[in-house]
Amino acid sequence: MESNFIERAKSSCALGGAIATISSLPRCVPIVHASGGCAQTLSATYNLGSGYKGPGYCSGTMTPTTSVAENNIVFGGEERLEEQIASTIEVMDGDLYFVVTGCQVEIIGDNAANVTARFQDPKSPVLYASTPGFLGDGFKGYEAVLSSLVANFITPVAKKDKKVVNLLGLMPGQDVFYKGNLANLVYLLGQLGIKANTFFGHDETVEKIKTYGQAGHNLVFSAIHGQQVAKTFEDSHSIPSITVDLPIGDTGTEAFLRAIAEPLKIPKVKLEEVIAKERSYYYGYFQRFLEIYGDLDYQRYAVISADINYAFPLARFVSEDLGWIPHLTVLNEEPEDPGDSARYAEKFKTLTAKVEAKLVFEANTGQLLKRIKESWPLNRNEKYYNQLAPLFIIGSSLDGSVAQKLGAMFLPISYPVTNRAILDRGYTGYRGGLTLAEDIFSALVSNR
Amino acid sequence: MADNNNLTEGLVYNYTSATEPPTRDTRIEPTNAFLGSCHSLKRALGQGCAKFNSRYFSQGIGCQLILALGIVRTFQNVVTIIHGPLGCASNNIGLAGFNKTSRALKGKPANDVIWIHTNLNEADVIGGGVEKLKNAILYAEREYRPDVIVIGNSCVPGIIGDDIDSLVDELTPEVSAKLVPVHCEGFRSRFVASGYDAAYHGLLKKLVDPPLRLASVLTGSKEEEARLEKIRRENSRTVNLLNVGSTSYGDEVELSRILSSLGLKVNVLPLYGNIDEIARMGEAALNISICATHDDYLVGHLKERFGTPYVIDTLPIGLKNTNQWLRAIGKALSLETETEKLIELETNQLLEAVEPFKKTLAGKSLWVGGGETRIFTTAEFFQSLGMKVLGLKPHNFDRFAIPMLDDIEDPETAVAVAAGQPAEEIVYLKRLKPDLYVGHGGANGWVLRLGIPTIPLYGQSQNHMGYSGAYELARKAARALLNTNLAKKVAANVTLPFKQKWYDSDPKNNIKEIPNEETLRSSVL
Repeated sequence: MESNFIERAKSSCALGGAIATISSLPRCVPIVHASGGCAQTLSATYNLGSGYKGPGYCSGTMTPTTSVAENNIVFGGEERLEEQIASTIEVMDGDLYFVVTGCQVEIIGDNAANVTARFQDPKSPVLYASTPGFLGDGFKGYEAVLSSLVANFITPVAKKDKKVVNLLGLMPGQDVFYKGNLANLVYLLGQLGIKANTFFGHDETVEKIKTYGQAGHNLVFSAIHGQQVAKTFEDSHSIPSITVDLPIGDTGTEAFLRAIAEPLKIPKVKLEEVIAKERSYYYGYFQRFLEIYGDLDYQRYAVISADINYAFPLARFVSEDLGWIPHLTVLNEEPEDPGDSARYAEKFKTLTAKVEAKLVFEANTGQLLKRIKESWPLNRNEKYYNQLAPLFIIGSSLDGSVAQKLGAMFLPISYPVTNRAILDRGYTGYRGGLTLAEDIFSALVSNR
Repeated sequence: MADNNNLTEGLVYNYTSATEPPTRDTRIEPTNAFLGSCHSLKRALGQGCAKFNSRYFSQGIGCQLILALGIVRTFQNVVTIIHGPLGCASNNIGLAGFNKTSRALKGKPANDVIWIHTNLNEADVIGGGVEKLKNAILYAEREYRPDVIVIGNSCVPGIIGDDIDSLVDELTPEVSAKLVPVHCEGFRSRFVASGYDAAYHGLLKKLVDPPLRLASVLTGSKEEEARLEKIRRENSRTVNLLNVGSTSYGDEVELSRILSSLGLKVNVLPLYGNIDEIARMGEAALNISICATHDDYLVGHLKERFGTPYVIDTLPIGLKNTNQWLRAIGKALSLETETEKLIELETNQLLEAVEPFKKTLAGKSLWVGGGETRIFTTAEFFQSLGMKVLGLKPHNFDRFAIPMLDDIEDPETAVAVAAGQPAEEIVYLKRLKPDLYVGHGGANGWVLRLGIPTIPLYGQSQNHMGYSGAYELARKAARALLNTNLAKKVAANVTLPFKQKWYDSDPKNNIKEIPNEETLRSSVL
């Protein structure tokens, strides 16, 4: 696909995504074969920009890196890489080491795969993925790292366990709430008797990850991202995939559970029992806010500015659970395949609010205000003007000034989030939907 | 006005005709890999050793593009374009809110920080990315009408040879913004401070005008003469206080207060400045640096090209160094008597004010890590309050900080030179167990995991410079020691990613010492 410049891209490059992914795997140590600044700079993109998630086990300034300089660019950096891998295994305490590459060494043609293959000690496994920044955004690095892990590290298992699933598509960092989202999904699937492998969740280990070839299915929580990993699982482990939307709140979670029930062979009784139980919990708390919602008219026009993983799920939540007007969704990335874009647009037709839920693709952050203005008739100094208000914008921290200009209430959720600190908060499932409702309602009452 | 700038003796700045300045690797010859003491570091640098040192096990050493953009991104009404793949300077995401708040704090228009990635992909690596850059420049001009568009060149176009300077020449007549190319490709330098020179090279070539005083010889009319005379009179009392990325608003207020009390008019520049202020930088009576590592290229060039005098001495942190900095300024402006009066007054007031904190701090030990001039001055101040300096970790070390080595009482105090990378420093800290760590951004978190309480070396809302900054430093350190529970609790429950044998090893073995050939030859003789 022809690419253009991007104003304030809400991502990093492939290497940035790779480092974020590796440093979120349990006790996994990245080895970055690139210039001296890449590891630190790219780490900071997610360590700060993702609700201050921090460097994890080993990223940021801690990242081992070859720090190639001009002489390596001229003479090649393979020797330096070999030295760095060997010394990293000596110094850093990892259950898995992961060599990833930057633009400089890929352009000069270093064969990092060959160098990595020289390290065959099973006690210190070393994997490799090609991740130069020019491959594209952070998701590209997530795909490359996990695909390598799936193809080269996870043990093939002939007999699959139908009660086990692998969760894919939630990229650490790019999904600011990935930890909490995964924990909520583990809980929810656990209610159905399904064990969920998360790779990045709280009690994962490299030893466990090695066994994930036993899963009966992959659940991919993204129409686009994680699909390459899923395909690698399918090719090298014969594990089929189910693509679903991130389940948030009552409507989203019910749709999710019903979509997976059949392929995962969940008994109908069990399914209905879990939905009823979780829904009762959800509305038991949800109703606490109804007095102020009703008394102060907290129905809002909604504008969502988000990446592809969050855009539709958030629009669905505000439309179907909160009863808001899902006026406009601005998708911060355009799928490479126009077919994917068309399929994504179709999802918005399922929303039941009696308006056309508009969807536009816009990668340039600075164009959000213009997109919102284009979506609504201008005020031509009419005495009676039906304005786009009251308005609530759910976006990223970079969209805050647009909300300010429009006098809209605002909650940053989609990456980057720099004005909130996120620890174990998650928005998936019924429980996560409550947390999201809590955050949105808190924004509404924040001036009281 | 006589310059007396020992730190820059022998350095030249006549690089304007080049597209980029020489990197620090060749221009200053610093080291970023040395483990020893104040004493052994001084000896090694004196012999020209250490500058070629490298490591077996290395962590990130930083990228000069980030430091270059850290300067230009702050200008008012500027758009920065990063010519490269999406990752180069994607850390802007984490800093945009910080920069916007800094603008507000400093009383400037609090606009969003705007940047554009040219988003180079695989096809561009083969075909070149100049067309995308052109589109990005035209988009910036159309959408934002900026005063300045700065283009930061990254590794990919640097390696494939995109000619951004010709594009800038081609577009200059078409756009109203001033176009500033900055050559800050990360792979070209092992020293991030090269990014300061790269940014200032662009600024000096494209944004700074020749001073008006040079124009005076061209004029004849009486009115014009009178106007210029007025400007000259004002300029004779006007000084530029050169800020850096880590100066807080509080620092700027304090240093301006000190200089104003000498009767000077103070411009705080160039960070967060507007294009008109930057254009007139050469007109001041004096350019005052607060950090030689940061500014020598800028002030040296302004002096060489326009004759603008400068003071480049120490960093005004702590009593001793603030006084030393002030004396250098007083001398340059022939205000010695006034300066001494001011120093006497401020010294007495400060010493009385910090007295209560000395009781908490005396006898406690500390380690300081970060930029070379800031850590030595900060350590010296805490030492003057009765603390014991166990060690220092400069990100790099060069001529600008050599005189500061003598300010540390014990010449055997540990020095671990490393740019960012914490591995060796962590071993020192684990063994020496300082009571307090004062650290650079990105370092404090690791040290907290080690169980050592920290305070930041600098920060947006931290005033550490001047007399009030000294008071704040003392107050902050004393407060940090009142409750060290966080570090204790964290250390008991989280681990750092090192093997035990690394903690047991001698980190000096990780340094590849490449001796200077001349030293080798003379030792053979």
